[in-house]
Amino acid sequence: MTPVIETHQLARRYGPRIGVDGIDLRIEPGEVFGFLGPNGAGKTTFIRVLLGFLRPTSGGARIFGRDCWHDSRAIKREVGYLPGDVRLYPWLTVRRAVGIIQAAHRGDFQGPGRDLAARLDIDPDLPVRKMSRGMRQKLALIIALVHGPKLLVLDEPTSALDPLVQITLADLLRQRCRAGVTVFFSSHTLSEVEHLCDRVAVVRKGRIVADEPIDDLRKRARREVVIRFESAAAAAAAEPPPDGLTVIERDGDRWRAELAGEAGALRQWLARQPVRDLMIGPPDLRTIFHAYYRETEDLD
Amino acid sequence: MRGVLIKNLREMWLATLLFALAMLVIEILLNIILPQILGQMGDLLERMPFIRQFLAALLGVEVEGEITAQLMSAFVWVHPVVLAILWAASIIFCTRYPAAEIDRGTIDVLLGLPVSRRGVYLCETAGWLSAGLVILAFGAIGYLIGSRAMELEQRPALALVALVMVNLYGVYLAVGGLTCLVSSLSDRRGRAVAVIFAVVLASFLLNFLAQFWDPAKHLVFLSVLDYYQPAAILRDGAIAPADLIMLFAIGLTGWAAGLEITARRSICTT
Repeated sequence: MTPVIETHQLARRYGPRIGVDGIDLRIEPGEVFGFLGPNGAGKTTFIRVLLGFLRPTSGGARIFGRDCWHDSRAIKREVGYLPGDVRLYPWLTVRRAVGIIQAAHRGDFQGPGRDLAARLDIDPDLPVRKMSRGMRQKLALIIALVHGPKLLVLDEPTSALDPLVQITLADLLRQRCRAGVTVFFSSHTLSEVEHLCDRVAVVRKGRIVADEPIDDLRKRARREVVIRFESAAAAAAAEPPPDGLTVIERDGDRWRAELAGEAGALRQWLARQPVRDLMIGPPDLRTIFHAYYRETEDLD
Repeated sequence: MRGVLIKNLREMWLATLLFALAMLVIEILLNIILPQILGQMGDLLERMPFIRQFLAALLGVEVEGEITAQLMSAFVWVHPVVLAILWAASIIFCTRYPAAEIDRGTIDVLLGLPVSRRGVYLCETAGWLSAGLVILAFGAIGYLIGSRAMELEQRPALALVALVMVNLYGVYLAVGGLTCLVSSLSDRRGRAVAVIFAVVLASFLLNFLAQFWDPAKHLVFLSVLDYYQPAAILRDGAIAPADLIMLFAIGLTGWAAGLEITARRSICTT
């Protein structure tokens, strides 16, 4: 099957400065792909190459099997794009934007436009010059979604959105994914990628330093464990912790620890200890994310 | 393409109307005021003979003996305000894409649509060319209204006025074509406007200086205004094809170069 996005040794430099460098990526239909990295890592440069704004310095990028630079117009028939820094025409309203998109795509999107405006709670006749930043972000989302694209390229889509709208957006994206839409989702915030994406790539200084399914990351992620023993004396007399459990803090009858890997050994160890209470937190992907940065810094 | 045309129409109509109204008003005023000045021109030229050279510089022909009504009619089409309106319109419309779109960051949304860069460029060109026609049409209407203040025998034939307008449209195209080229190389509209304004100003001054300063005469072919000769058109009853070809060639070269550069360049908004 033709991948939705495929890049081969993709590089884009700005003079001596590196935007992206040697990126190989393959995203299959229906995937929700998170592109994670701090500001300046090369996420937006990569997206701008995909959209045909920037010509690659070397290597190539293809969407739906078409070259991103030469066939940009045809590609954009199937792509919805949300820029990272949303700037819109001051006179633009939801209604006018839908009208322009209809004319550009030669379709009727009044219905989807109305539905999206209602779901995102935005007045269809309010011009951009009277909108808050969050409202402008909503309008930009409508522009990206209204024509029902097969691929959504979203550059930090939740910036400027309040938590409730973020939930609505997540629902919208899940709905689209169920219908087979592929989502390329760039962010510097792990939490939003974590909740939405099937697979995540971590980019740093223009290079991909990790690319794996989010479930695999979760399995490897450390979890916070808090153990409360029957008494401080029981805590002091407890057996040494099992492999994978690192005690960070001992405070009277309470241990705070980090668990790496499966919980089997921990469960067996706990059964032999006088434990009164136990709390195991969710996998903390942040530590993995930070670890990737530390590792590559060490390599540098 | 239709979506981009709708967007352009929405953004350009007001500016076009304002430029057109300005042209209408200035043509009416010049046509009313100039015949009155004409009566006093003989005395003025005797007292200040250098005015003859200023007029020659503007009109592009030697001004000898009496200032005729024909010359004064030409003057309403070379008045600096008329040229400024036309040039301002051309510069503003031709820096809209890509310079202004990149400058304000809206190009991300525009080129997010299924349109080619060349397609957007052609839509912008259609807007620019149409706006020029509207502005000149309003100028012609203003001229016709204002020229009622002149004696009937002093008014030039409409066919001659139309030829002057064709020549003036050539100037609009030449300035616009060069502006398209500068805009295609720029990420900032202000910078593009400043560069082309400097070029136009230099062109104007060169044409002016050539009347007084011999070295400038050798360079005057570089001035767009050297190919704009309304007085000669009114005098000879014909437009010089070489002038028109030169103006169209300048415009077309700049426009075509701008098109290719816009289509091939990388676009960064940050």
